[in-house]
Amino acid sequence: MAVQHQQHLQHDPDTGPVDVLPLVRLAGVTKRFGQVLANDGISLSIMPGRIKALLGENGAGKSTLMAMLAGRFQPDEGHIEVAGGRVRFDSSRQAIAAGIGMVYQHFMLVEDMSVAENVLLGQEGGFFLNPARMRAVVGELAGRFGLGIDPAARVGDLSMGERQRVEILKLLHRKSRVLIFDEPTAVLTPGETEALFDALRSMSAQGKAIVFISHKLEEVLSVADEIAVLRRGRVEGEFLASEVSSPADLARRMVGRDVLLDVRREAVEHGPVVLSVRDLSMRSVGGALLDNVGFDLRQGEILAVVGVGGNGQQPLVETLCGLTPPESGQVELLGESWSRFYAGNRWKGALAWIPEDRAGLATCRGLNLTDNLLLTTRQGFAHGQWLERGRATSTTGDIVREHNVQPGHVEAQAWQLSGGNLQKFVLGREMFREPRLLVAEQPTQGLDVAATEAVWQRLLDARKTAGVLLVTGDLSEALLLSDRILVMYRGRVMGLFPASDAVQVERIGALMAGLSG
Amino acid sequence: MILIVSKREALPGRGVLVVYLGALALALGLCAGMLLLAGKPALGGLAVLFQGAFGQAHSLLDALLKAIPIFLCSLGVALCFRMQIWNIGAEGQFALGAVGATWAALSFGGLPGALLLPLMFLSAMALGALWGLIPAVLRLRLGVNEIISSLMLNYVGILVLEYLVFGIWKDPASFGFPMTSEFPAGAQIGRMGASLGTGLLGKLHWGLLACPLAGLAYSVFLGRTRLGFELAACGEGERVARYARLPYGFLVLLVMGLGGALSGLAGCIETSATLGRLQPTVMVGYGYTAIVVAWLARLKPWPIAFTAFLLAALRVGVEAMQLELQIPAAFGQIMEGAILLCVLAGQFFLTYSVRLRRPAPSEAPS
Repeated sequence: MAVQHQQHLQHDPDTGPVDVLPLVRLAGVTKRFGQVLANDGISLSIMPGRIKALLGENGAGKSTLMAMLAGRFQPDEGHIEVAGGRVRFDSSRQAIAAGIGMVYQHFMLVEDMSVAENVLLGQEGGFFLNPARMRAVVGELAGRFGLGIDPAARVGDLSMGERQRVEILKLLHRKSRVLIFDEPTAVLTPGETEALFDALRSMSAQGKAIVFISHKLEEVLSVADEIAVLRRGRVEGEFLASEVSSPADLARRMVGRDVLLDVRREAVEHGPVVLSVRDLSMRSVGGALLDNVGFDLRQGEILAVVGVGGNGQQPLVETLCGLTPPESGQVELLGESWSRFYAGNRWKGALAWIPEDRAGLATCRGLNLTDNLLLTTRQGFAHGQWLERGRATSTTGDIVREHNVQPGHVEAQAWQLSGGNLQKFVLGREMFREPRLLVAEQPTQGLDVAATEAVWQRLLDARKTAGVLLVTGDLSEALLLSDRILVMYRGRVMGLFPASDAVQVERIGALMAGLSG
Repeated sequence: MILIVSKREALPGRGVLVVYLGALALALGLCAGMLLLAGKPALGGLAVLFQGAFGQAHSLLDALLKAIPIFLCSLGVALCFRMQIWNIGAEGQFALGAVGATWAALSFGGLPGALLLPLMFLSAMALGALWGLIPAVLRLRLGVNEIISSLMLNYVGILVLEYLVFGIWKDPASFGFPMTSEFPAGAQIGRMGASLGTGLLGKLHWGLLACPLAGLAYSVFLGRTRLGFELAACGEGERVARYARLPYGFLVLLVMGLGGALSGLAGCIETSATLGRLQPTVMVGYGYTAIVVAWLARLKPWPIAFTAFLLAALRVGVEAMQLELQIPAAFGQIMEGAILLCVLAGQFFLTYSVRLRRPAPSEAPS
């Protein structure tokens, strides 16, 4: 059904009436960062008066694609058309001039200025300002698109939802015809989200083209007219929102099931329990971050935690890895309570963590590889207070050779390594600690095929001495590597079953969407 | 034509020197301009400055003596800057060091020098460290910005010093001048004259020895010890520190304590070796110059030594300008500020490359 409709959409400009030509068309757009293919031959049409949702996991290529539309990168292959003519944006200024505007997750507003001043910043139209007139212009604009806001209010006093409206007004005032929203609901309360959706509908009714980037299924279904699913840099499906029967259906379309690569996965005998979580709960102002989470992990197995991003994976990992103490419930690591385990602070034979943010959290960009090795292994290279740098350097050399980290010298600084090589180095470093419990978060996100395969092989090897908790948004990765699968939704465990259980695996999409029935 | 500003991939190799020399030249140019505005000969004024700073052996020697406290304070703040703790309080820690040394000198004047001097060093460093620890504790416990608190404590520290000198420590025989009585001989750091002859070099005092010792300790600590490594890693960001389980709070206390101790040591040496007594004129802003030095030298010990000497020479040169051209003393601080600002502005060119380009012909339909 999806494929059929994809063709239908592509034929639309030819067969449809003349006035629904796409405002913006992407034609076979490809973008590479080094070895990584961020966008692979993407073709999309953005129509006036329609809300198009771009759905995909982190690292699927959504942001790269939109950054090209907004003029921050140029495509390596393919081209962008605006109103039927080919364009090339060298700067975001040119994209804005062509009527393409973007609302980023992080707002770019001057807090000490009023709403009207922010909207008209750089567009004052004359040397002298007329505050009353500025307020009137902005007030009229806000009223027309249903964006309730006081033009005289100071931006610093506004809520996140109101600030977002200011960003939208900036684009509307610049006569943007295409408005791109990057995860716009991430900072909003439920009420503000509803108000935003009303405004989106109002803008689209007045002929604006809206692009809505998200990985939240319900939101996409409630607001979008058309949905394009992005996975690993490609458009995996494009269909009308009305064709989607349920969030579960959409989740299935989003995470996919194709196995790209094959790795040798031999069974490893299961050992003792290395991680035991009971009734783990955590609350925040917005509600439960973790809700009675419980599971065991044994040496020799990989337990995959899957779910749409932002459903509790982050607080779970931060608790297990010692950043935040458990609020209520028990966490036992290697048979010790959380507080005893982290009071001990053992560097070897304990827990190793491969975080999602390998460039900002797992490594220091300005330090060389030896220093980055020492970051988590310094206790192993200390003789009293003295640091044995010579030995650390030779160990770093061994890791670089064994894991084929390019460029192959230890004096390279972390920022000089590509994402894949950095990840191989982080894995090598963490495995050097001989962990008995390994937590890997999105370990292959943004990596090329070869690096992905290498990382998978290492994770499988790690089972011989450790239990592995694999947190991933990529279902094919989870199915390929794991022994058991745990599905999370809104901080709850929706299901925990063997990866070989075909019946349950079939239901993963539904579980990820919060449907337990 | 448009200016294209883009981020550099790597530091330009030789460009660093060009940028630094260019910034220095620009700063001197600005100062020459200010001399002109003040109705003084611009080039002549700069000539007096250079003549005064580098012209005679005794001015070089004077600069070397002034460089000692600047170098020590600068190492102290550089240590804090390494982990992005912005210790602006070297001046106050220096003042407390002077107070600590004076307390020991006045209270235990009867002890022989071999006992009294170490006691003075200890009490100076302890008080300096204490003054440095106050902003550290405030930051860790209450989240108070250490820039503000350490800066404010400078004024408190100077007031403490003045309170003592104007009050309970004032020498009854000083005809009302705010100063303590002269330290006993055992409390004064000796001159090298005895071993180096009566020539100019003989005016150097043994306090100079503290500089290579402190510099060596600084390098070894940062380069060879576990704590030194953890400190540098913390400077890369608090998030990484949490991931790597670095003892962030302990390190904040450590660097502020050590930084304060180094500034306190500088205050002790300056009081004991240069003045031989405590008086308010011991506070001439070395603690502020030290911040400029640390920043210009990018926190590395050899460049700190070199820059400390250079800015000390600048002070000596400005003294000559004061005498010959009746330039106000504040001119020295203006020059210091101009150099720092120009170098900071110049660092923009180290991070970004700037090119001129004609606007590309647009492919967009009109």
